[in-house]
Amino acid sequence: MADDTKAEEFHVVHDDPARAISDVVPAELRRRIKELSPVETDPNQGKALYRRILPGVLQMHADTVIALARKSSLWPLTFGLACCAIEMISTHMANHDLDRFGILPWPSPRQADVMVVSGTVTKKMAPAVKLLYEQMPSPKWVISMGACATNGGPYTRYDRVLQGVDKIIPVDVYVSGCPPRPEALMDAFIQLQKKIMEERGKIGR
Amino acid sequence: MSAAQERREPGVKETPIVPPPPGSVADTFKAALPDVEFVANQGVLDVILTVAPQDVPRVMRAAKDDPRLAFDFLRCLSGVDQMEQGLEVVYHLYSFKHAHNVTIKTLLPADDPQIPTISTVWNGALWHEREAHEMFGIVFQGHPDLRPLLLEEDLGYHPLLKSHPLAEIEESQEDFLREEAPAAAATAAGAPPAPVDERAAKIALAQKKAEAMKKAREEARAKGLSPEDEKAFVQEALKTLEEGS
Amino acid sequence: MTIERELDTIDVNFNVGPQHPATHGVFRMVLTVDGELVVDLEPVIGYLHRGAEKLSENCDYRQAIGFQDRTEYLAQFNAELCYVIAVEKLMGLEVPERAEYIRVILTELNRIASHLMFMGAFSADLGVFGTLFMYAFRERERMQDLFEEISGDRMMYSYFRVGGLAWDVPQDFVERTRWVVKQARQGIADIDGLLTRNEVTMARTRGIGVMPADQAIDWGFSGPMLRATGVRHDLRRAEPYSIYDRLEFDIPVGTQGDVYDRYTVRLEEMRQSARIVEQCLDQMPKDGPVVAPGLKRVLRPPAGEVYMRTENPRGEYGIYLVSKGTDKPYRLKIRSPSFCHLAALRDMVVGHYVADAVIILGSVDIVLCEVDR
Repeated sequence: MADDTKAEEFHVVHDDPARAISDVVPAELRRRIKELSPVETDPNQGKALYRRILPGVLQMHADTVIALARKSSLWPLTFGLACCAIEMISTHMANHDLDRFGILPWPSPRQADVMVVSGTVTKKMAPAVKLLYEQMPSPKWVISMGACATNGGPYTRYDRVLQGVDKIIPVDVYVSGCPPRPEALMDAFIQLQKKIMEERGKIGR
Repeated sequence: MSAAQERREPGVKETPIVPPPPGSVADTFKAALPDVEFVANQGVLDVILTVAPQDVPRVMRAAKDDPRLAFDFLRCLSGVDQMEQGLEVVYHLYSFKHAHNVTIKTLLPADDPQIPTISTVWNGALWHEREAHEMFGIVFQGHPDLRPLLLEEDLGYHPLLKSHPLAEIEESQEDFLREEAPAAAATAAGAPPAPVDERAAKIALAQKKAEAMKKAREEARAKGLSPEDEKAFVQEALKTLEEGS
Repeated sequence: MTIERELDTIDVNFNVGPQHPATHGVFRMVLTVDGELVVDLEPVIGYLHRGAEKLSENCDYRQAIGFQDRTEYLAQFNAELCYVIAVEKLMGLEVPERAEYIRVILTELNRIASHLMFMGAFSADLGVFGTLFMYAFRERERMQDLFEEISGDRMMYSYFRVGGLAWDVPQDFVERTRWVVKQARQGIADIDGLLTRNEVTMARTRGIGVMPADQAIDWGFSGPMLRATGVRHDLRRAEPYSIYDRLEFDIPVGTQGDVYDRYTVRLEEMRQSARIVEQCLDQMPKDGPVVAPGLKRVLRPPAGEVYMRTENPRGEYGIYLVSKGTDKPYRLKIRSPSFCHLAALRDMVVGHYVADAVIILGSVDIVLCEVDR
């Protein structure tokens, strides 16, 4: 080290922890630390310096923090196709609020995280759905809301209807119902949040 | 035609003809157009008049312009597929001035359904006729813009005809991709758009395949095969069908 | 200081695409604009064409009620009523009194709910994004709770049956409905206070999207769109069905046929619907059967055809039903009011600005499921 005096200032002597702290930490902070941690001996003995200075610091994997941030602020694309759109709007509204989960409906696909396909996808609409999905930046998820988006629903026997949106885009959560209750859609978002936390190793997917 | 006859349920009845009471709008029509032949029928709510297709433009123009009739509101224009008898076009009219209704029907031959347009009489007929054209194949002569409205362009078939079947439920995702792949390959090769007959032939072939697959699946399930054996059985059935055709 | 310049401009052709927050569903408008002025508009529909008519030909008469719900997903009871009355007329059935009254109560409450949705979406188009939408949905949630108590579903009720209702209403139906109507009146008053004499609303909607009465009739307008032009025509008065001939209500009309008139007509219609519901609650028989007696499980109406029309919140909803005496409809054509109104969208929008195009589309109050069926 170039500057030896500076290194000595921060050099920690393990056999006398109290003296090591008093060298660096001001008296006031030392007093507060004593108040907060009532044990006689330093519980953070042998641990990193920042744990003794700032005991309230959490340390975790970056994946966990990023996943936590992503799941708490899911912005769905306002993509109401048919009748399920009305229940999706009801879920956003005051009675079954979705904003408390951080879910904010966003009209543009460029800033949206999750695409809630609510309603029947016809073969005429399918290219637009695929284009919107591709316009969303990664990481992105898809919730297939309702029977029509899952497998064609009541209209599955008509040949202009796409029998499920998972034929063109990958789906993460399926919600059944015709239309699903707002509570079911809320449950879908919570399941998606659980899935995001479980999949947290795959950054940038 | 045999498929259509099979679909017809036993006990199909035709509508009985009941003449309307005197003084109804049928008499006004007959007075306004004495040389047009009307077959008048008292329906559940309105009087139903059946005319020949070539008389329709005159009847509609008189319905709107004649002060005794004054039908200024076209309620609805529908097509009905009457199978062997042909294609029917049904017009429902209402008059705000006299507060009376009428239903006017005409029957077109199934192989050449052409009728003059009435969009010159009522603007509201524009979209109704476009929809009837793409759903049934009825050609409205003189319509300014007979492009498909609800369906994609050059689809090749008319869905609401009775001869067009319902779609089969696709059990796996590959069914859809397999169906789209030949069409994509054709357009990639720069092939000209296939005429209607070829498309219909392709659809007939696909339907035959679907039938064969369904039969093979049922047989395999009856025999109690495992899923892999079932798949192999189905593939064999398809192969025999292709070799046979 | 003004700068005058001769500029060579090109008209821009752009797409208000199928996914757009302002288009109330999957509807596409191809606009040709000169600056901000709309020169041409082409509506493209069919992104939600699901074949309800074709599929209804393959269900029996009771299953087809479910398709009516999904076709008109904001005024479900109105669509069910039209279909059910069409089959009853074909069969010559008479519906018991209590069932008729309950049907009318539910239909009119559904009309209020549908107009509340219009108010919410209309205010969103005007720019008031959150507030009025929340108010409207507060009232709608109350009504949806009531409908859920009766029929079991929040949206797709399938509660009306040919000959009456599926089952009788719960015992506290009358008190609950009176409470819901009282709350709805308060909600209507809230919306009225916020939008009607609002300077911004009036500046943005007066004189916009005008359609004169004779042209409107030619295009096939009906319902609030036609009444806004001044034609006092309501199917509940002109061709009464069910028990509407025993009820007293007024028919609000507008003067010019612009967007502001359509808004005020719908607002006043909500009040009249509340009035109808209160009258029905007073006149309703306390008990009685709710379904016509002697009906078979599988209905086979006699061969024939009928075109039944009812006054939906959007206009004249028509069901053209052709029966050949079998247990399935032979042809079930749905005449939807939004389809006919959208055909005239070009005439209403050309000559206005792009922002006005959004408001005019909102004032038509389309439901894409019934446009595309």
